[in-house]
Amino acid sequence: MISEAFIPAVASLGSVALTLGLIIFYVSKKFHVEEDPMVTILNDTLPGVNCGACGYPSCGQFAEVLVETKDSSMTCPVGGTDLAEKLGDTLGITMAEPKPITAVVLCQGDNDTARETAEYLGIQDCWAATQTYVGPKQCRYSCVGLGSCIAFCDFGAMRLENGLIIIDKDRCTGCEACIPACPTGVIVMQEKKAERYVIACNSHDKGAATKKACDAGCIACQKCVKVCDDDAIVIENFLAKIIQEKCTSCGKCIEVCPTKVNCILLEEDLKEAKQKKAS
Amino acid sequence: MKTFKTGGIHPPESKFTENTPVELMPVPKELAISLNQHLGKPAKPVVKAGSEVKKGELIGEADGFISANVHASTSGKVKSVKPHPHPGGHYAMTVFITPDGQDEWAEGLNTDPVDWHGFSKEDIIGKIKNAGIVGMGGAGFPTNVKLAPPPDKKIDTIILNGAECEPFLTADHRLMLESPEEIVEGLNIITSLFGGEARAYIGIESNKKDAIETLTSHASSKGIEVVSLKTKYPQGAEKQLINAITGRTIEPGELPFDKGCLVQNIATAVAVYEAVCKNKPLVDRVVTVSGLEIGKPKNIRALVGTSFRDISLFCGNLKESTNQIISGGPMMGKAVYTLDVPIIKTTSGMLFINNVGIEKARERTCIRCGKCVDVCPQGLAPWLLANVAQLREFDEIQLLGLANCTECGSCTYVCPSKRELVHWIKYAKALVNNRQKRKSA
Repeated sequence: MISEAFIPAVASLGSVALTLGLIIFYVSKKFHVEEDPMVTILNDTLPGVNCGACGYPSCGQFAEVLVETKDSSMTCPVGGTDLAEKLGDTLGITMAEPKPITAVVLCQGDNDTARETAEYLGIQDCWAATQTYVGPKQCRYSCVGLGSCIAFCDFGAMRLENGLIIIDKDRCTGCEACIPACPTGVIVMQEKKAERYVIACNSHDKGAATKKACDAGCIACQKCVKVCDDDAIVIENFLAKIIQEKCTSCGKCIEVCPTKVNCILLEEDLKEAKQKKAS
Repeated sequence: MKTFKTGGIHPPESKFTENTPVELMPVPKELAISLNQHLGKPAKPVVKAGSEVKKGELIGEADGFISANVHASTSGKVKSVKPHPHPGGHYAMTVFITPDGQDEWAEGLNTDPVDWHGFSKEDIIGKIKNAGIVGMGGAGFPTNVKLAPPPDKKIDTIILNGAECEPFLTADHRLMLESPEEIVEGLNIITSLFGGEARAYIGIESNKKDAIETLTSHASSKGIEVVSLKTKYPQGAEKQLINAITGRTIEPGELPFDKGCLVQNIATAVAVYEAVCKNKPLVDRVVTVSGLEIGKPKNIRALVGTSFRDISLFCGNLKESTNQIISGGPMMGKAVYTLDVPIIKTTSGMLFINNVGIEKARERTCIRCGKCVDVCPQGLAPWLLANVAQLREFDEIQLLGLANCTECGSCTYVCPSKRELVHWIKYAKALVNNRQKRKSA
């Protein structure tokens, strides 16, 4: 009984499968595209996140162009020095070392330091919030603090802590995907380098207005400019700025800053810097 | 009774102040006059801190084709020029004036009315431009630009918008009752710009019977038809009003002049009359101060630049239970976060509200009930726009007609799932704009 129904089913489906399989086999042989095996090897070496930091839409595209041009100046910021060496070995050329960069949030206005505008009840998204004045925080240059950028980070390097985005600099690869996701433009890229200082404030308001909106804002008091021996700090439009080429990371500015707005990028954690200043 | 074809809602009218005559508000201690009181490019400041100004003197010059002049609302000294919160929900350059208390007009302004019939078309439009008149219904489009459409567009219908469909607001209603002559004269001036053939209408919602009667008695002898419209929101939106009165439909991408229509607000008509006949720049306007949380709801005539704080004090101060202050009406207005916000030429009302009893905004999933589609006056599918916005599919959302949404708020009003539909649409518009900016940069 069972076998009577079973046999024709297996036979018919099996023959269909066999025919289709033969067709596929024939097509794959007949229309075979000769692919450079090097591209496949490189593609396997690359991180494979298709983040776009190199300027190409995908890792595969990067590999293709690299094999074609053998341009040693092409870099993958995500892979860093290790990857550059591997790629160089595979291709037999010396690849340029990528400058490691990292995203930095130029704001320290967390829920304790930044003043609230009002209770914000709308859509919990930075872009939606900035359609009504500035969102939950009074400073219109600040990190809005609703975390729209987090979804754009392929590397899990961003987290929201106390109303402020914190960037894990070990994980950040500098792919810049977060920059267009921020409505206030508070995220910038900085070279990853030991003991690098930045002014972690984005407010171009006058000192009094900045102070009114946030305790951790740059009030353009000029103290750091005066104390800097290397002329590495300038005040532009009511905001101090460190010229990275001139900065020797001496740390004098951190000591004088009344609002503790300077921060060390790598070696030390921001909180440690604050404690250092407080003690 | 006439009305527009597609969609619409009827929220509770709550017009508490419709029988309260307009009160003149005294000059406050400080004025913050925004240089961005219109659609288009903000005006260029022409005064500096320390300069003395007379009432009606130019302080901001129109910068470009779509821009408008800004004038000092009273005489005094300029204290500073700096960015300041603007009732539209952003920051704008603002001129702060400390009034000297004299409220003295600059020479040649606010004269006795003269007959306008001798003026040429260019004279009239020039006077309107100099007076810095913008559409006072809310959008703030410069009136002189609107009154000079491209020469190949023939205007045959001129509509004055007295619908005032937003709940609470009664500013235009009081203006219609108290200055009907000025409105009719203003409309006649506008009509004269388009030759004799143009038909003039005044559209008023049927909940303002007294205004319809008053204007009919003043206007019917001058060939102006007063049209009674069904009380339905958004009857006062430009495209809906045209559809209700003429039956013409403004297709997406078209402007009213493509269909031979021109719509002006009631208050704009008064401003046009005052600019042309009295040489008076636009420095004050009628504002409805309402809501359950204000001591004495009133209609007031306030100077442009008066802060919400001064106005709330003048109207019996706000109660402690106030937790939301809205600039404009409840449907399309924006919540402001500080009482330092000044009123501008387009602020038709301010509301003091306590929404603690109302369920807090907590979005739930769309249940596909289709109510938003039923009420959308533009014939869009708001639920779909919001969903696509949430998915950040910004190419697709433009195909769905994102640009046609007028943000009237009807969909959010009816949504049983409390979805923030208009907010999602605004969010999508902001991101689409940002993307285009980045592309062109």
